[in-house]
Amino acid sequence: MGELISTVLFLFVNGMIWGLIIALISLGLSLIFGVMGIVNMAHGDIYMVGAVISISLFPFLGNFWLALLVVPLIVGFFAAPVERFILRPYEGHPSVTMIATTGISFIIQQIVLATYGGIPKKMLNPWPVSFNLFGVEYEGYRLLIAVISIGILIGLWLFLYKTSYGILVRASIQDRNMASAMGIDVNRVLMMTFVLGCILAAIAGVLAAPITQVFYLMGNDVVLLAFIVVIVGGLGSLEGTLFAALSLSCVEGILSAVMSPTQSRATILVIMIVILMIRPRGLFAEK
Amino acid sequence: MENKRLLSWFATLSLAIFAVLGFTLPSGARSLAIQIMVFSIFAMGYDISLGFTNQCSLGHSIFFGVGAYGAILSIAKVKTGAIGAVGSGLGAGFVVALILGLICVRLSEAYFVIVTAIISAVFHLLAMDMIWLTGGDDGITVIPPALFSKFTQLSLSNPLVNYYFVLLFLTVTYLILVRMLRAPLGKVFAAIRGNDTRALFLGYNVFRYKLIAFIISGVCGALSGALYALTLRYASADFFSFYWSIVPIVWCLIGGLGTLVGCFIGVALMSIFQYYVSAWFTHYLLLFGVLILVILRVSIKGVLGYVLKRGGG
Repeated sequence: MGELISTVLFLFVNGMIWGLIIALISLGLSLIFGVMGIVNMAHGDIYMVGAVISISLFPFLGNFWLALLVVPLIVGFFAAPVERFILRPYEGHPSVTMIATTGISFIIQQIVLATYGGIPKKMLNPWPVSFNLFGVEYEGYRLLIAVISIGILIGLWLFLYKTSYGILVRASIQDRNMASAMGIDVNRVLMMTFVLGCILAAIAGVLAAPITQVFYLMGNDVVLLAFIVVIVGGLGSLEGTLFAALSLSCVEGILSAVMSPTQSRATILVIMIVILMIRPRGLFAEK
Repeated sequence: MENKRLLSWFATLSLAIFAVLGFTLPSGARSLAIQIMVFSIFAMGYDISLGFTNQCSLGHSIFFGVGAYGAILSIAKVKTGAIGAVGSGLGAGFVVALILGLICVRLSEAYFVIVTAIISAVFHLLAMDMIWLTGGDDGITVIPPALFSKFTQLSLSNPLVNYYFVLLFLTVTYLILVRMLRAPLGKVFAAIRGNDTRALFLGYNVFRYKLIAFIISGVCGALSGALYALTLRYASADFFSFYWSIVPIVWCLIGGLGTLVGCFIGVALMSIFQYYVSAWFTHYLLLFGVLILVILRVSIKGVLGYVLKRGGG
């Protein structure tokens, strides 16, 4: 009995840590949709690019923590022109942006396949310490991921709710035209939001690189869960997204004790459909 | 009015060209032509959903895959003829489209797109996982069946029979769809495309009409999947992959949304392009992505839409 409890607790913690990574990704997704009306199908690929660049740069940087700082900046640097020159005309039309970002997703995947190769790699564990957690040896790095992502989430919250720039972003989520009429340079807010969303995904990618297989399709799996999370939480609702990310990942983590990963993913899908039937706009939607 | 006549001339001409090409083309190009016809059915169906009722589904790979497996499994397990196989593909497609439609059609635009995409991704995962049923990535291979199980002279292993078998279905699908769109049903679709809130105010049950469009579109996808599987003589989990949800959008966008037959052009261009480019460039999907962005930027109405605008003044 004690063993069962410790297994369940272990899976719960594991699910929680993936939940935090998924939360970083899906908050970006939700933010981008909420502010700009873009359904970013390439979000998983940005996560993948974050992981891939951190592995490719490792020989030059020689340090994982430096990569955690540098890689998001590189990704953000490339994200800005994509928003300005490719996505800007379609903003506010979810279907069109979805098609356009799918095109971008194909381009990113093929470029990575051509340069980085198709063989999965893994980052060296940057903090090889292990803790005894509920009677199970647990990798210290995974706990560190939790600490770092919670830190970033708090930072994001402070940014959105305590800085004047955050007010601009939230005003643009609430009513873009009105924000524009009040003299806010909405275009700049849009670009910065897109960059911020991509940076969050890239950070998630760097954090996940040591605990998962890094290859050019790794984003597909994660973005699927991220989309489910965003839908369940309610599109554009940040607290809903956070809640759904943590709870769904824990449920999936615990389900994986009794069934195959695919079956637990299918169960999550059923949960999503049931929630959509009761609340067609997600748990935390306003209308 | 002028446009409608132009479109039906275009469709008749295309079908006539396909009929002539059947016995004139060499075998390699003939199989490419079969592919174009099969995909045209898929694309016409997709146009009903995106072009006529504004439902941008990213879940059509489900119907394609379900149709393909419906056909292949009925041959492998029950030993039906080709007609029976297509029939069971259609049946399976109808059931799945009905269920998915009931879940998804009610949702608003962004939710609809994302939820259909999620469901199709999960179908793909399940198809890869349930190897006992689907054969996973390796798929299931069958011997090409006779048209009817008792009547063995006409078998799909004969490429000419295969060609005209597909052409028959393309023609029938086109005639049925055109008839539907000219009926009052088509007028309601146009009303919904124009402004679905207004259609609701006029007393139409928008949900029901959108559901009908979704199901028609899904059944066409299943038919196309069944024919594709019968032509290739196999089906694999890859039929559910996201690629098959994206290509119909590209076909319709290139050819012209809302023209029903414009997608013939899109399918033909894409298939020929893919056939020749993938031979010398492995990262074919890269060009595909660029192509999507270029089409969206240049014209959302596509080739035929452009011609019609020019011709109609």
